[in-house]
Amino acid sequence: MLFKLTPTTGQPLYIQLMQQIRHATETGALEDGDQLPGIRTMAEELVVSPNTVAKAYSELEHEGLLDLRQGAGAFVCVRRRVRSRQDSVYEARKRVGELISELREGGLLDDEIRRVFEAELLHAVETVARR
Amino acid sequence: MTESAVIETNDLSKSYGGVRAVCGLNLSVPPSCITAFLGLNGAGKSTTVKMLLGMIEPSSGEGRVLGSPIGDPAQSVALRRRVAYVSENKRLYDYMTVEQIIRFTRSFYPDWRAEVERDFLHAYELPPDRKIKKLSKGMRTKLALLLAFARRPELLILDEPSEGLDPVGIEQLLESLVSRCAEGTSIFFSSHQIPEVERIADHICMLDKGRLVIDAAMDDLRQSYRQIDLVFPSVPDEREFRMAGVESIRTKGHQMRVFASRNAETVMERARSFYPSSVEVSPVGLRDIFLETIKEN
Amino acid sequence: MLWYKAWLETRPRFLICLIGITALCSFAVYHGDHQALSYTGADYYRYVLLSGHAMLCESWVLAVTLLMMGGLLREKVAGASSFTLALPVSRRRLMAVRIGVGLLQAFALAIVPWSVMFFIGSVAGKTHSITQAAFCLALLLGGGLLFFALALLISSLVEGEYTAPVVSFGIVIAIAVLFSDRALRVYSPLAFITGFAYLDRHTWLLTGPVPWLHLATYLLLAAALTAVSVKVIEWRQF
Repeated sequence: MLFKLTPTTGQPLYIQLMQQIRHATETGALEDGDQLPGIRTMAEELVVSPNTVAKAYSELEHEGLLDLRQGAGAFVCVRRRVRSRQDSVYEARKRVGELISELREGGLLDDEIRRVFEAELLHAVETVARR
Repeated sequence: MTESAVIETNDLSKSYGGVRAVCGLNLSVPPSCITAFLGLNGAGKSTTVKMLLGMIEPSSGEGRVLGSPIGDPAQSVALRRRVAYVSENKRLYDYMTVEQIIRFTRSFYPDWRAEVERDFLHAYELPPDRKIKKLSKGMRTKLALLLAFARRPELLILDEPSEGLDPVGIEQLLESLVSRCAEGTSIFFSSHQIPEVERIADHICMLDKGRLVIDAAMDDLRQSYRQIDLVFPSVPDEREFRMAGVESIRTKGHQMRVFASRNAETVMERARSFYPSSVEVSPVGLRDIFLETIKEN
Repeated sequence: MLWYKAWLETRPRFLICLIGITALCSFAVYHGDHQALSYTGADYYRYVLLSGHAMLCESWVLAVTLLMMGGLLREKVAGASSFTLALPVSRRRLMAVRIGVGLLQAFALAIVPWSVMFFIGSVAGKTHSITQAAFCLALLLGGGLLFFALALLISSLVEGEYTAPVVSFGIVIAIAVLFSDRALRVYSPLAFITGFAYLDRHTWLLTGPVPWLHLATYLLLAAALTAVSVKVIEWRQF
């Protein structure tokens, strides 16, 4: 499994890693029972602090997406709910696609649309974080 | 965190003549973390590190490294067994060969790791028979790193470890830092290479003109620093935005750029009350945080 | 391993000095053997060996001064002091090893050339007495350690790769010039180590008992200077 963390996006690296692992389970790139590298190996591969990986793993374990076994590594446990989640992601993509074509018709450029999305998402994240 | 901090200083200061190199430093470096120590040349980083290692005596204040007070020469010897240090200039003994200095250094540490020594010699292509005098700056840096990494220190203090290394060498260094941290070694390093710091550091301490200006977790910096670009039909007075967390404000024509270290949300709310035609928030990389902070001081 | 470091650090200087002094002294004896006969009625080989000793004294003082240049202050200039000071060793220990190695080298620099001179004399069938040689060596090593300690102190006080040697040699020359005055000659450490004060001009032998009190005074002075040097290094900021 390949992950890519971007240090400059203003989002903590452990959250990026969590999202990418979650995304991988949603797309099926990671399946139930698959093993992820141990904290040290993963940290060395990504060249990030081991604490970043440890935090992402433990949060995901908390969510029930990973099963951390002492000494054996991290195992993916994808339950049924992910299936339904996959459907909702599919649904979301359709709706976003429609919205984008609508905005394009309204004369906005792709770049502008992207900036609007990013700004709104960042805003949303911060509002949530502050609560 | 304070209880178990690997490096802790309390109002640590150093003056040379009338010049204050370090003033009132209150550092607290968390254990088992990678902590980056940033600052311009001459900001006082090396002076601080030398005080921590007992090479120079503080003018005032105190400090503890791994729990032992830094001023005590007897405890300092025991402490140096538990701390590995690579100095800023990476100078070693010119009259020794690579092999001789390895043998010399190894004799002080019973827990020397022969496999690490081998790996480094191989990865860095260090010629064992070459006199240190004849090594290039980059080679000397690599050798100094080998001597520090082949030990099992509890704390690794590196002063500009990547200076003089090529990109491959830097990558190898970062990987070694990550492995050591995974083994539980606490790492405290200074660097000018912002991108590498941004990638591997858990914690950032920034020094400017001898004062600590930032002491925060990297994740907190990522989440709290924001640049807010505003466009107003009629630009309000800058004073309206002078609030806690706002580090700088620049106005040009209808545009206003606010640089906030926190409270971006409050800034945006204030901005909205002036009916902006555009509000854009963007994250700020460590480089810009560094430059803005230094400039503000 | 600190001994190993101190040895590697001084090895080239030491070997050059050792070979140089031995050659110089051997030459003095060999050359003197050919020249001396014409203008001295005394047992010329004693004279020859003593002129060899005088040569040894001068070059020994210079060599020891040169050898004791080094240590932490010199490393500070070169930049390696940060490495040394990060080792789990006290500064006192670093100094002790440096002084130890220095002493061994200083002894070797006196004993080896003397042995060679003695050997050359014996081969030429002009054996000198062992007690006379021991007397000379006692004077040289006892009084000469003052110069050793002086160089150590200066290398602990004066920073700069070239400043320290210049100051040290300057002081040695100043001592030589200052005490060359007839009235002050009795107090001259240089005159003391060459042994001319104890020389019987008729027999060309060192006479009288070994001046233990003088030797002890010089050694005490040297010890005091050494102690000051260690303290200076312990207090110093790097």
